[in-house]
Amino acid sequence: MSLNRRRFLRHSLTALGGASLYSAFGNMRALAAAASHTTFPAGDFKALVCIFLNGGNDSFNSVVPYSASQYADYRSSRSVLIANGGVAFDQATIQANALSPLAVQPGLPGGPPSDGGSYGLHPALAEMRQLFNTGKVAIVGNVGTLLHPVTQAEYQAGTVAVPPQLFSHSDQSIYWQSSRPDDANANGWGGRMADRLYTGNTGTVPLCISLAENNLFQRGDIVSSYGMSPEGVEKLSYLGDGPESWVIPPNEDGFAAYNALLAADTQEHVFERSFANSTRNSIANYEVVDAALSAAAPLATAFPDTRMGSQLKMAARLIQVRAALGMSRQIFYVSQGAYDTHNNQVDDQQWNFSQLSQALKAFYDATVELGVASSVTTFTASDFGRSLGVNVDGTDHGWGGHHFVMGGAVRGQRFYGAMPSLRYDNNPDETGFGQIIPTTSVDQYAATMAAWFGLSATEIADIFPSLSEFNQANLRFLG
Amino acid sequence: MQIRLAHCLMLFVLGLPACAVAQGLSHWPDAGMRSGFEAADVGPYKDADAARFLTQATFGPTLEDIAHLRAVGYRNWLNEQFAAPVATQVPYLNWVEGLPPNPDGNNTVNDHTRMETWSINSVGTPDPSRGMVIPTDQLRQRMAFALSEIFVVSSKNGTLTYEPWALASYYDMLAANAFGNYRDLLEDVTLHPAMGIYLTHLANQKANTTLNIRPDENYAREVLQLFSIGLVQLNTDGSPVLVGGQPVPTYSQATVTGFAAVFTGWNWNNTGCGPTTYVCCDENNYSNCGRYDHNIPSWKLPMQPVEAFHDSTSNKQLLDYPGVALPGGVLAAGGDATAELNAALDNIFEHPNVGPFIARRLIQRLVTSNPSAAYIQRVASAFNNNGSGVRGDLKAVLRAILLDSEARYGPWQYPSIFGKLREPLLKNTQLWRAMEARTETGRVETLSPYPGIEDWYGQGPLRSPSVFNFFQPDYRQSGEISSLALYSPEFQILTDSNIVSTNNRLFSLSFCFYSEGESCWTNGHGAVMKLNTVRDAALANSNPGALLDRYSLLLMSGQMSPFMHQTLLNRLNTLDEEPNRPLSRQRIQHALYLILNSPEYSIQK
Repeated sequence: MSLNRRRFLRHSLTALGGASLYSAFGNMRALAAAASHTTFPAGDFKALVCIFLNGGNDSFNSVVPYSASQYADYRSSRSVLIANGGVAFDQATIQANALSPLAVQPGLPGGPPSDGGSYGLHPALAEMRQLFNTGKVAIVGNVGTLLHPVTQAEYQAGTVAVPPQLFSHSDQSIYWQSSRPDDANANGWGGRMADRLYTGNTGTVPLCISLAENNLFQRGDIVSSYGMSPEGVEKLSYLGDGPESWVIPPNEDGFAAYNALLAADTQEHVFERSFANSTRNSIANYEVVDAALSAAAPLATAFPDTRMGSQLKMAARLIQVRAALGMSRQIFYVSQGAYDTHNNQVDDQQWNFSQLSQALKAFYDATVELGVASSVTTFTASDFGRSLGVNVDGTDHGWGGHHFVMGGAVRGQRFYGAMPSLRYDNNPDETGFGQIIPTTSVDQYAATMAAWFGLSATEIADIFPSLSEFNQANLRFLG
Repeated sequence: MQIRLAHCLMLFVLGLPACAVAQGLSHWPDAGMRSGFEAADVGPYKDADAARFLTQATFGPTLEDIAHLRAVGYRNWLNEQFAAPVATQVPYLNWVEGLPPNPDGNNTVNDHTRMETWSINSVGTPDPSRGMVIPTDQLRQRMAFALSEIFVVSSKNGTLTYEPWALASYYDMLAANAFGNYRDLLEDVTLHPAMGIYLTHLANQKANTTLNIRPDENYAREVLQLFSIGLVQLNTDGSPVLVGGQPVPTYSQATVTGFAAVFTGWNWNNTGCGPTTYVCCDENNYSNCGRYDHNIPSWKLPMQPVEAFHDSTSNKQLLDYPGVALPGGVLAAGGDATAELNAALDNIFEHPNVGPFIARRLIQRLVTSNPSAAYIQRVASAFNNNGSGVRGDLKAVLRAILLDSEARYGPWQYPSIFGKLREPLLKNTQLWRAMEARTETGRVETLSPYPGIEDWYGQGPLRSPSVFNFFQPDYRQSGEISSLALYSPEFQILTDSNIVSTNNRLFSLSFCFYSEGESCWTNGHGAVMKLNTVRDAALANSNPGALLDRYSLLLMSGQMSPFMHQTLLNRLNTLDEEPNRPLSRQRIQHALYLILNSPEYSIQK
């Protein structure tokens, strides 16, 4: 017990810095929960990778129906073909990129699309299609931020509470990442999972690592995340091991002065302490990460030379050196921009998807190379889906949308959840303004991954307080 | 001396936090400042007070400006700045375009050229496009930069990346409105083609039921959420109006739909269009009248209406609030594009949220992340009425922000939380202004490193990753700040990797380029900003403690704690004269670097 407590304190100090340690004790519930995951057995490794598609992906042009009835509905909303300056795919293109879902298996959820239709993928998602058709990718239909299940009638009458500020980028990104539309100040669900698991990691590098921007998803009540450049670790020139350290003579007295100014618990101003803590943590973490990466062999898997490729390559390398980092659990955040396709959607999605799809394929291959394909689950998230109606050559903000889950543990080649109608008029699945009402909540989507990640039912209920509003706490797309 | 130094080092090796000499000294700012019994707007009485004011109102104090401000006082200084000639960016781009092509390639106008003119105007260095005139409109430029972080457009947009004239023109528009009225600013922002491209209301069109086209809601949503009123109803002091304990939304989806319909029918300005230039935007050419040349009037002039594509037939639900001019906030059908735009912008402008909404954002940009409710209320009241019955007067807002007792005495009123994390770009400009940095030719390449400056600092002028700016007003840093329920917008870009890259960039600026030469690379083409290290050489040699006092004044408004002063002095005293490295310059460089990256300096207080 004393060992565990010491380890807890060490982690807390790393995560927060001494001066703000008290805040860790503000959440006694999480503190108690943390004790339940003191260690993971040898070989028990799992990583979750969040791919955030910034701006709100038009998933109705990512997973597209080609069967006659569903395609007619799609074209009733998106009437102008791409060839004529619109955003609609012709039927043949989608059929040429068809998905081949497995039949329903007794005792298991998932299978062909719920509406009985046939679907294909955007042609630029060719690698994703291959991964779906070989069982490594599943599609979860019409996921979105929800407090309770809600019908069109309930939405229009305002009789059931819905998340505040629907269709707003900032708010809906926050709710996707926190899964707490009831609390605008809540931390992220990745961070809340990490709060309960981080004591199982023996190293000091935070369980949550961002290879993109600072994000809410990875913020916990106890733990903070580590953000690093996908290009690798850069060190401080002034401290002797950085890109321009050669410019000044040996500088030991400089190190002493620099570190004295940053010393823990010495700053009088709250913001100064936070700045000092962040800087000290950044330095401590880059030293550990750099040592681990420098000692590792290069990956054989080739990654595309794109921002998405670099991010996922670095995630793969950090998985590779998990033992050196003392990490049994890792949560990664990577992101891709420019999905807010009010206009020029056809070109922008083509560009985004080709980079996304190629990088995801390389990442999956790398997990196979590393022997951890079944220990790494990758999923997409986005601000929202987009509107059925168009803004000439683009689409507007929506609500529900389809998402991908990838990995060796995924019960792939299946659709989960319900596929909504894309009909323009008299469509019971939309709000009345052209946005699709989600039928699977972010809570359900996230809790399914939390269960796979090793959190108990009690912990999951604690992390996702609205989950009990929905009739399936686990969508079982992970086995 | 030698013995003491060895002692210091040994302590460090043992893991003790500081050299024995600095231990026991206070970490609070140096005492002896004024207590605040006199009126806030009278003064400054001390150089440090002047430097604090200039840190909030400019891109950084200089010795000259401190002396001048002390001579004329706050109010006269503000009036001088309101009247100062306006420095602009578009003429600079035109000047560079007129230069002969050169091997360096920097006579080709692109977004780097825009960084040059931003640097010249913001840092206030001699402008080669104007016969080396030095721009002096610091307050206007500082306000323009603050506005550019609220009314965001960005080169991180597929189209605007290649349109430096559009972005320069947009920035000039912000600068032109910096001391004007918010209502005019809102209209100029709305109609600027850079915004039309960025938030996609350029060539927006009325609903077309045959093609299932609906008006684009992008600008409608963001103008309400980010540029004017925000999501929930506010009291004048910025706190949310609560009904049954819950905040009250300012608008609904129906409102967004209404505004989206208002913003239909606007397209490129047709000045200069024709058979030999580019297609005129009209009823027959609405979606196919693109603009491909970069330096043409269309990129710099307000958008124009094409009535056939404006929704003139539907009633539009706009904002509804107590005292709203339109009955129920509904704009009745029938107006043309211009009339409806004016009615809609008036409808926003008169909303009671605008004062507290804009007040809080501007206070956060200039003074402090966590203004008190009373401070917001005082500034919002100035917005609501400048004293002569005028609403939206930004001069009155600036006076209210900068001359408020909280702005002037905040560090003594709220010593452990007042102020803000300095933006990395403002650390950079402050260093250059404090150290009288200049290039040899007047051209400035130092804000265009590889990769772009935003990859080092997490920010660059008009280079935000999204319309939500580099950081958001309600961001809370994890840990102590969050648990105290404080806001800390700038911490959003204090990522682990930005900490290192910002620090290393400030290392380059401190150690690489100085008035006697260059240490690191020699590819500056005469366009590298060099610190005036000669100015301080004698002081650095004779009295390093006094050198630190000077830098404490210029960079920290005299707030360097005794502990920090002693820690830096210890460092300066252990430096030795070396070949090609005079002791004086080393002392200057180490002092600057250590200050710029210290926790005490990094929080503007």
